[in-house]
Amino acid sequence: MLLFFAVVMGLPLLFLVAGSFNLSLPGKEAVYGLDNWLHAFSDRATMDALWMSFLLSVVRLVPAMMIAVVFSWLIARTDMPGGNAIEFFCWLAFFIPDFPLTLAWILLLDPNYGFLNMVARHLPFVDGPLFNPYSFWGIVWVHTSAGGIWFKVILLTPLFRRLGAAFEEAARVAGADTLAMLRRVTLPLLAPMILAVAVLSFIRGLQSFNTELLLGTPAGIYVYSTRIYDYIRREPASYGEATALGSIFIVVLGVLLLCYWRFLSGNRKFTAVTGQGYSVARVKLGKWRLVALAGCLFYITVMTALPLVFLIIGSFMRRYGFFNITSPFTLTHWQNLLSDPIFLVALENSLIIGAITTAGGILLYSTVAYLLVSRRAVVAPVLEGFCWLPHVLPGILLGLGILWLFLATPLRYFFYGTVWGIALALMLSDSPVTTQAFRAGFLQLGADLEEAARVTGASWWYTYRKILLPLLAPIAGAVGLMNFGGALTSISTPVLLYSHQSRPLAILLLEYSVTGELERGAALGLLITAIICLMMLAGRKLGLKLSGLQ
Amino acid sequence: MAPAVLEFRDVAKRFSTVNAVDGVSFSILPGEIFTLLGPSGCGKTTTLRLAAGLEEPDAGEISINGVIAAAPERGLFLSPEKRRLGMVFQSYAIWPHLTVFENVAFPLRVRRESSEMIRQRVSRALDVVGLGGLSERGATQLSGGQQQRVALARALVYEPALLLLDEPLSNLDAKLREQMRFELRGLQRKLELTILYVTHDQTEAITLSDRIAVVNRGRFEQVGAPEEVYEKPATSFVGHFLGRMITLEGTLKRTGGGAWVQLAGGARIAIALSELDSLRDGAAVRLSARPEDIAILPAAELGKNQIDGVVEQVDYLGDRFEYHVRAGGALLVLSAPKRDRYSSGAKIRLSLEPSCLSVRPR
Repeated sequence: MLLFFAVVMGLPLLFLVAGSFNLSLPGKEAVYGLDNWLHAFSDRATMDALWMSFLLSVVRLVPAMMIAVVFSWLIARTDMPGGNAIEFFCWLAFFIPDFPLTLAWILLLDPNYGFLNMVARHLPFVDGPLFNPYSFWGIVWVHTSAGGIWFKVILLTPLFRRLGAAFEEAARVAGADTLAMLRRVTLPLLAPMILAVAVLSFIRGLQSFNTELLLGTPAGIYVYSTRIYDYIRREPASYGEATALGSIFIVVLGVLLLCYWRFLSGNRKFTAVTGQGYSVARVKLGKWRLVALAGCLFYITVMTALPLVFLIIGSFMRRYGFFNITSPFTLTHWQNLLSDPIFLVALENSLIIGAITTAGGILLYSTVAYLLVSRRAVVAPVLEGFCWLPHVLPGILLGLGILWLFLATPLRYFFYGTVWGIALALMLSDSPVTTQAFRAGFLQLGADLEEAARVTGASWWYTYRKILLPLLAPIAGAVGLMNFGGALTSISTPVLLYSHQSRPLAILLLEYSVTGELERGAALGLLITAIICLMMLAGRKLGLKLSGLQ
Repeated sequence: MAPAVLEFRDVAKRFSTVNAVDGVSFSILPGEIFTLLGPSGCGKTTTLRLAAGLEEPDAGEISINGVIAAAPERGLFLSPEKRRLGMVFQSYAIWPHLTVFENVAFPLRVRRESSEMIRQRVSRALDVVGLGGLSERGATQLSGGQQQRVALARALVYEPALLLLDEPLSNLDAKLREQMRFELRGLQRKLELTILYVTHDQTEAITLSDRIAVVNRGRFEQVGAPEEVYEKPATSFVGHFLGRMITLEGTLKRTGGGAWVQLAGGARIAIALSELDSLRDGAAVRLSARPEDIAILPAAELGKNQIDGVVEQVDYLGDRFEYHVRAGGALLVLSAPKRDRYSSGAKIRLSLEPSCLSVRPR
């Protein structure tokens, strides 16, 4: 069973790598050779794209980590007022999909009609647009406002909290002021974990596709994922080069992951820093508490609230940015969107894909997790590591691998271009997080609760229904909600797999954006954002644990 | 004689390279509390889980009320739900999503009893363990002691042939543990329960059990009534595990009429003959006794079976004194009631009763 699971996980990868040596088109008779690799390595554009991926990921990591550490420390370890509210906001902001947010920044910063550029034009010494989002720094900026930073805060806050006050208090008693304490005790103690979060963020950053596609492509800035997309969307499609590029990236990713595991396993002594019977006394900031609060609020306002507000305004404007024309506001875009038959089909597709992904994922991965837990002695850690691969495997590569799989095998008749194919791809990418969540759940329950039922006379099936399932319902709910949200917003995974019949909402959003229908795109982006936020809020109301899963 | 409720015949269970249970045989009679006592990792919990059917043995035979429950050589294995047992887990394993009532009712629902029957029997079981008014409480709102009672009620509610208790008191604080021990014994007598009890706490084992099996490295070192196991430990492991032992080294001397041990300082200690089965004259032996059986007396002329010693350190323990005494070539830790008081450096005598001494070869 577990072996089967590993094979299913590995199959798209296998086909991807095999495909890179295949010189003919997928589905045709295979001709093997090294030409694709030679092209990929001799083509400057390919290597530039890889280099740009790393550069972008590294450059934006630095400010993001610093801001995330400050946020987490303020929330977890100080008496800053409103810490809980800010933590809640970080959690909510984490779920805001990045595509609508990128759209919002375009509306604000576009050189021709961007609102901020128009305001800046009235300033002295400014002629021409002040900001340009279609640039290296534009991409970095937008990423700094999107989910990545909140992802780090969500991971770091519990670490800071667990550190406990005793270490810091000991530093205080020994004569250190707040800064010295931070510099000499708090940060060094947490350094390994902070570094681990940074490396994980870096690897996840490499998966990024949406922002680079919207902002990089017009300026000729390509990262490897947009380059792959470009290879496949051009006429005629260059599957070979795209696949070779993907394969190079997988090798690099493998090396990075290996380093990451090595690093984590070599640092066990630090992970043991958890407060046994810790006190939760917080650092007193004195007059700085309000300054800290103001700083946090300012960042949140500028980076999240501002673009979202302008996204809302944009969706109601006849022509975005033109406030001077007669009756600039209109409901047309919303009316057009909601009455567009394509929209209705896409909505239906998205719901079907989401439902299949969620239900299938819960059923499959809860079973896998149960097996992992109940036979933990048999399972090699290698296999477990293998199951994590889809989590860091960029959606575009997963899509490409699955595309090869579908095209080269009879699976195409059922999966190629259908909602089932997209759902399958999304389900694969959900596997690590979902499996781990269930695994943690089973481990936490312990065998006792199950065995107690068996001894009192319940069969395995009765025990599963009456004891295990109800106890795991919160986990299943949380995981299901996250996966459903992921299925709704994912662009890079289905972008190579959809057809006109199976186009989901997120892809429709992409199409509106690249064909210049920004106002309608804004409306659709808002709709998706609203659905996600409402879902997550409802989940939280129901008491589901929606963070810490990532 | 009534047939055994539970019988193990040469049962063995390995985990990779460790013999968790290594050829164990015993039987439990109706109405008996049979305790497995031993340090953690000695195999006592595995033995209990074998009885429950939560582990399958590698060899041997287990039968419950004369019916074979596991016999790997013949390919027989009865799954846990078919064994009609009650079990209380160390963690209690109270299902957190069910109320107290539903937790206790579970075994009856499994058996598809009528709802009227369930209501009656659950409330009777809850009354028995003293939780009458709490049936609608959520399981997570209970204190440790209450959870323990729910677990017990759940195990009792369908009147199982045998009750398996896996360190049921170890998660309770000291006062509550004492009270529950007392209640458990009362309940067992009233309902004539047959119990297999697992613990690492010697006080618990001695006060509760009809018979104790001292377990070490997957084997039974000694099986017997509490008094027998405590007073006449068969091995030095048993002696040391059940309370403290003091030991003195010497040489065995035997003549036609009697036997004594010559200690390092020259003192002679007479011993009972039954202890001597196979030991020869001149053998190097170790003399051991429970510290409370040794009386400390003020220095005076040495009487029979007395040796002199010096107090090196005195610790005040509240209810008694503890003396570190240099005597017979060894440093002995002895306790004495508060009415006798010796200060550090005082010369004293120790009196050793032959009936309380055991002799083993070195």
